[in-house]
Amino acid sequence: MLRILAALAIGALLAVGASVAVVNVASPAPTPPNQPLYNYGTR
Amino acid sequence: MGPALLGAGLAVLALGPALGWGFVLRYDLVFVPDPPLLPDSGGFPRAVPSDLVAALLSRVLPGELVQKGLLVAIFVLAASGAAALVPPERRIGRLVAAVFYAWNVYLAQRLLLGQWALLLGVAGLPWAVRAVGAAGRERWLGRGHGWWRGGWRQWWRLVVALVPAAVGGFQAMLVTALTLAPIAVARRRAAVTGVTLGVLSLPWLVPALTSGAVTDPAGVDAFAARADGPFGVLGSLLSLGGVWNAEAGVPGQESWWLAAGRLALALTGLYGYARMRAEERPQWWGGLAVAAGAGFGVACLGAFAPGVLKWLIGAWAGFGPLRDGQAYLAPLVLVAAVGLGSLLRSGAPAVVGLLAPVLVLPTFAWGASGRLEAVAYPQEWRAVQRIVNADPAPGALLSLPWGAHRAFAWNGGRVTLDPAAKMFARRVVRDDTLLVGLPDGGRLRVRGEDPRNRLSPAGVRYVLVAGTENRFPFDRRGWTPVHQGRELTLWRR
Repeated sequence: MLRILAALAIGALLAVGASVAVVNVASPAPTPPNQPLYNYGTR
Repeated sequence: MGPALLGAGLAVLALGPALGWGFVLRYDLVFVPDPPLLPDSGGFPRAVPSDLVAALLSRVLPGELVQKGLLVAIFVLAASGAAALVPPERRIGRLVAAVFYAWNVYLAQRLLLGQWALLLGVAGLPWAVRAVGAAGRERWLGRGHGWWRGGWRQWWRLVVALVPAAVGGFQAMLVTALTLAPIAVARRRAAVTGVTLGVLSLPWLVPALTSGAVTDPAGVDAFAARADGPFGVLGSLLSLGGVWNAEAGVPGQESWWLAAGRLALALTGLYGYARMRAEERPQWWGGLAVAAGAGFGVACLGAFAPGVLKWLIGAWAGFGPLRDGQAYLAPLVLVAAVGLGSLLRSGAPAVVGLLAPVLVLPTFAWGASGRLEAVAYPQEWRAVQRIVNADPAPGALLSLPWGAHRAFAWNGGRVTLDPAAKMFARRVVRDDTLLVGLPDGGRLRVRGEDPRNRLSPAGVRYVLVAGTENRFPFDRRGWTPVHQGRELTLWRR
C-alpha cells in the first residue's frame, strides 16, 4: 500500500512539473531573423 | 510487437510537425530532393554511407518519406531493442525500458543536433548487445559446428543487428564498437565481432584513412560536454545529457525541477542495473556495465582533461571523433533503461516508470516544441539543382556566402548545414570551418577538415549565392547568370 501511495505521489508531482514546463515553453517566441550565415551552435 | 508499437507512438509524439509533408532541416539533419547518388565530397567522410543509403532509398520513395521513415525507425528500433533486453515475462518492465530508451535527453539532444545517423546506430545498439551477448557456449564460426547449427546463425544475427550502425557511419559504428568490445571479450567472441565491425566500417574507414582530412585540436574546447542544467557537467552527464551545443537543448530542460527528475530517473536506472541478482543477470551484464563506464569516461575527457585529448589528436587525427565525447554515453543510457525495466516490474511503480521518461522531458513532444518541423524547399532551389545536375560539363560549384551553416527564414530560422553540400552531382566547394559561439559572445573557430576547400577560381564552373544579406563580392567578369531569384543566384562560366 505504501509503495502504491508513494508511486502515486511521485507520479502526481512529475505530472505537475511537466505541465508547468510545457506552459512555460509554450509562451510566444520572437520571430527568427533571416541570417544566411550562422554559427554551428553556441556553447 | 508491443514495444515496437510503443516506439512508433513515441515517434509520433516526439516528431509531431516534423511528420508533415516536406523536409526537416536542422543542423546535420539535411535531406534534399533527388539527392545525387555519389556527390563528390572530400574531407572526413561524416555522411558515409548514410547519405548514399538515403539517396538510394530516394530513388524508390520521395525523399520526404525516406527522411520520415528513418526518423520513425530510430524510435521503433530503440524501443523494441531495449525491451528485448528485458526478460519476456516482465511485460511491463520491458515497456518501461522501451520508453526510457526511446525518450531520453541524450536522444532528444542528438536529434536536435540533427545526428540521425548516430541515432540509427544508438537505436540498433540493444540488438547488437543481444546478438554478441547471446547465450550459448559454442564458438562462432568455429570448427566442429555446422553452419546450420547455431554459430553461423548467431553471427548472422549480429550482422543484421549492426546494419543500422553500418548505415549510420563512423560515429554510430564507434559508439557501437565501444559498447560491444567488453561484451565480446567477456563472451570470447572478440575476433569475430571485431572483424565484423571492421568489415562493416570499410565504407567510411577507407575514405577516412585516404582523405587527408585534418582535425583541429581546437574542436576539443568547442565540442566538450557542457552543463545543460543546474547540476554541472558531471550532473548533466549523469542525467544522460550534456551535449556541447546549447541550442541542441530541449526547451525548458534546464529548469531545476525537470533536471532533478531526469537525474533521479537515470540514477534509479543505474541502481536497478547494479542490484540485479546474480541469477537475473544476462550474459552481457558485466560487459555492458564496463562499456557504460568507458563511455562515461570518454564523455568526461573533453570537459575534465582536454589537454590529454588535444595531445592525442595532435599525435594522430584519428582521435578526432573523441572530441564530441558525450556521444559515447549511449551504453550508459542503455544500462539505465535496462535497470529501470528490471527495477520497476509491476504495479503502480511500473506505471509511473512508464510515464516518468516523458514527464521529466515533456517539451521533447511535438517536435521538441516546434524545433523540428517539416518545410518545403523553395522552388528556386529545385530550379538551380536541375540546371546544375543537367549540365554534363565538368567543374565544381562554389557555394556562397563563405560559411558552413545557414538559417533561412523559410525554415523558421533554424540553423542547418548548407543544403548545397548535398544537392549537386559535382564537387561543391564550401567553407567547412565550424564557428561555435561562446557564452561571452566570442566565437571559436574549428578549422575545416577538407584541405581541398580553398577559395580558388580554378576548376569552378558554377557559383551559387544564397540569401539576400551578406552577399559575397566576387569579380563577375566572364560569369553569366543562369538563375536569378529572390534568394538564389547561380552564375556559370
